[in-house]
Amino acid sequence: MAEKSQLVNDMEALLGQDKVISSKLERYTYTYDSSFLSQLNDFYPDVVVCPMNTEEVQKIMRYAYKHDIPVTPRGAGSGQTGGSVAIKGGVVLDLSGWTDIVEIDESNMQVVVRPGIVHADLNVALSPYGLFFPPDPGSSKMATIGGMVGNNASGLRAVKFGNTGQYVLGLEVVLPDGEVMKTGGLHSRALKSVSGINLTSLYVGSEGTLGVITQIRLKVLPKPPARGILLTLFSSLDDAAATVLEVFKNGIIPSGIEILDDSGIKAANKFQPDLKLPEAEAALFFEINGSKAAVDFEGQQVKEIAEKRAIVVEWATDVQRMAKLWQGRAVIGAASARVKEGATRIFCGEDVCFPMARVPEALRRIKEIGEKHNTLVVIYGHIGDGNMHTAPIIDPLKPEEVEAAHRVADDIHQLALELEGSTTGEHGVGFTRSQYMVEEHGKALEIMRIIKDAIDPKGIMNPGKIWVER
Amino acid sequence: MKTTYRVDFAEELKKCVRCGECRSNCPIFAESKREPDSPRGRLALVKLLQDGKIQASAELSEKLYGCLLCKTCAVNCPSGVITDEIMVGVRDYLDDALDKSIVKKALLKGFLTRPALLQASFSLVKLYQKTGLNSVLTRSKLIEHLPETMSAGAKILPDVSKQPARGRIPEIVKPYGEKRFRVAYFLGCATNLIYPDVAVAGVDVLARHGCEVITPAVKCCGMPHLAYGDTATAVQLAKNNMKVLLSAQVDAVVTDCSSCSATLAESYQKLFEPGSEEYNQAGELSSKVYDLNKFLVEKTGVHPGPNPVNVSVTYHDPCHLKRGQNVFKQPRELLKAIPGVEFREMKEADRCCGSAGSFSIMHHELSMKVLERKISNIVNAKAEVVATSCPTCTMQLSYGLINHGLPGQVVHPVQLLAKTYEEN
Repeated sequence: MAEKSQLVNDMEALLGQDKVISSKLERYTYTYDSSFLSQLNDFYPDVVVCPMNTEEVQKIMRYAYKHDIPVTPRGAGSGQTGGSVAIKGGVVLDLSGWTDIVEIDESNMQVVVRPGIVHADLNVALSPYGLFFPPDPGSSKMATIGGMVGNNASGLRAVKFGNTGQYVLGLEVVLPDGEVMKTGGLHSRALKSVSGINLTSLYVGSEGTLGVITQIRLKVLPKPPARGILLTLFSSLDDAAATVLEVFKNGIIPSGIEILDDSGIKAANKFQPDLKLPEAEAALFFEINGSKAAVDFEGQQVKEIAEKRAIVVEWATDVQRMAKLWQGRAVIGAASARVKEGATRIFCGEDVCFPMARVPEALRRIKEIGEKHNTLVVIYGHIGDGNMHTAPIIDPLKPEEVEAAHRVADDIHQLALELEGSTTGEHGVGFTRSQYMVEEHGKALEIMRIIKDAIDPKGIMNPGKIWVER
Repeated sequence: MKTTYRVDFAEELKKCVRCGECRSNCPIFAESKREPDSPRGRLALVKLLQDGKIQASAELSEKLYGCLLCKTCAVNCPSGVITDEIMVGVRDYLDDALDKSIVKKALLKGFLTRPALLQASFSLVKLYQKTGLNSVLTRSKLIEHLPETMSAGAKILPDVSKQPARGRIPEIVKPYGEKRFRVAYFLGCATNLIYPDVAVAGVDVLARHGCEVITPAVKCCGMPHLAYGDTATAVQLAKNNMKVLLSAQVDAVVTDCSSCSATLAESYQKLFEPGSEEYNQAGELSSKVYDLNKFLVEKTGVHPGPNPVNVSVTYHDPCHLKRGQNVFKQPRELLKAIPGVEFREMKEADRCCGSAGSFSIMHHELSMKVLERKISNIVNAKAEVVATSCPTCTMQLSYGLINHGLPGQVVHPVQLLAKTYEEN
């Protein structure tokens, strides 16, 4: 056993041995998230700590501030941009064990949680109160609320319910020097507030670069009593896109509109053979929720619109069938590798967002990019808001395929910028997209940096993310 | 990494995209909340080993032995990573790669120092001694360290001094009425010594369902050896058992123990080269192996006796039966077919109880945390009896119930079925 470093000894003195992970072997398990780039590098943290209260986070931050040690907050490590990986070493704060629900304020429709609670667990806890937290990342079973706030995550229901940021009413943040700040009003339970500059919104999506979020006050909504899913298959991408547009034009906003391309359909069938999706160029999943009458009415309307162009239409309200359909879509991210024997799906260039009107063009161009680099790219995503997931399927043991995948990812990011979109719709920048930030933001990136430097003058909070290090 | 237990490490490991889905379903991670204790974390460590970036070590061994082999992550993995098989394979590798004394030290860390733990393990250890199935323990020198005072803890655990089933079951039991099947009853070690009544009931029930039942002189199925990396012994056991069972000229090999049926049906083929004689024998045996519940429901049909068993029953799915063999409807069908039984489904019925063979000895505290959740689900089901189809689950659940001062009884479904033939 290697001798413990001063940092490890000091962390053990501050927190107790049971909250400190120091062996090199165990620290290795904090060198990755889902991003392919993090898996090609061994970004070891010098120590991992597992604080369970605000005071412990303060102790860690005071120490780190004093000694100029980088600190990287981490939830489940299910992110796809390396955001929770300590690329400059230092301390990783594993917050995923800090899962408390501090308060469910039923009458004011809000909930106060600690950062480690998992999205699905929160909704299980809210369910008896008839409430739910609407943003639904496909990774609901593992993603933590802290991570969702840090990345302003959204997912499958953003088309109707928006992203995480729209529900964050206030935050408790431990600042880089260890001081604690509350945003959104010290004692406020208001659902709206325009009192002062909106610091809550500044922290949402800041990816741990401005402090450690230790408590989150979320607005929650009444759980819709009814739900239905319309599965539709199209022989052309344009028909699928035209159907989405017509649904919106009829004044219907489904809670989710998801697309799988032809290879995504194959992957879904391989993961869940009983889905039995027929071959097609595109599959759309419309989720309608609300009152039973509204669901029945809107479901029928969407069905009629879809029938004009679709080759298959199935309206499901049976709980088991809906669960199967929705899960088939939700897990496609990891399951897409199943379309090619001996290959795996990698996460790079995976959540570009296009203007709605340019989605069909974007999907065709992405296919061309894959062909150009001789790489199969499975496409799926949230067509309702233009946020597409692209999954290069490669054999990671073959260097030429890895190299081609990097070129695919680069071309896809460039395509997003060319088509007036964004390099990331919901996963964040991390270190995998920082190279595109100047082109995407211009002067605005400089202002972001000024804000960062003002709050974190020593640059210890999650260094190497969002900005390419100077 | 070269192993006897066939796993293509490079191909299997590259499937893991590190999405973290397994964090949501691993019973061990649910308790520890630390990445090194997650399936994803363990896979990452095996990948390091496979890539030659680290060497086998006691610390690595300890981490990789922290898995229950419950298969929950594997069946739920969107990428199809067979984590449990990778763990069995890497344990095989570690057994060869490491100085045995290092493995022992890792395995026994935290074990020898805790009297409560020693007491809890008493029955299992005694079982191992009695069966001569002590190679794992002898190799780990565990037996040398067992204090005599351990027997005090045995009171809360099953009495292994009962007459073993083998002495109570005739070599051949004739069917009641016309013979429909000739069946070999695979008598597992734990059933034979700890729960002999299960086998006695099982054989009698089979006979009442038209089976001529023979109980061949088999040896241990090899599951404990596989779980602890002793593949060489598992291979010898497999060869012996295949020879005995395939020469018995039977229609089916039936067992009440889910670990035995999983090992016979699934694991033996992993021990031999495809195309070899033994591999083909393992395939032939696999096609004949049945869990007792499944055999009764699917092959003979369930024909209860006239006497009702007026009791409420819940059912715990053993990992190796549900996830290993996809058998979960059959035990419930069997229970519901018993007159008088009121079946009450428990929440998370298929969640591991934390027993996992001898995991409950080697990682006692973690095992007990996993068990807590199971006991809580059992209590909420408000059933008088817990049924399950695995002797180590039975031992673990019984321990949990007694520890909580609960009156519930843990039985195999076939024991309840057997009661319907008993005269009051």
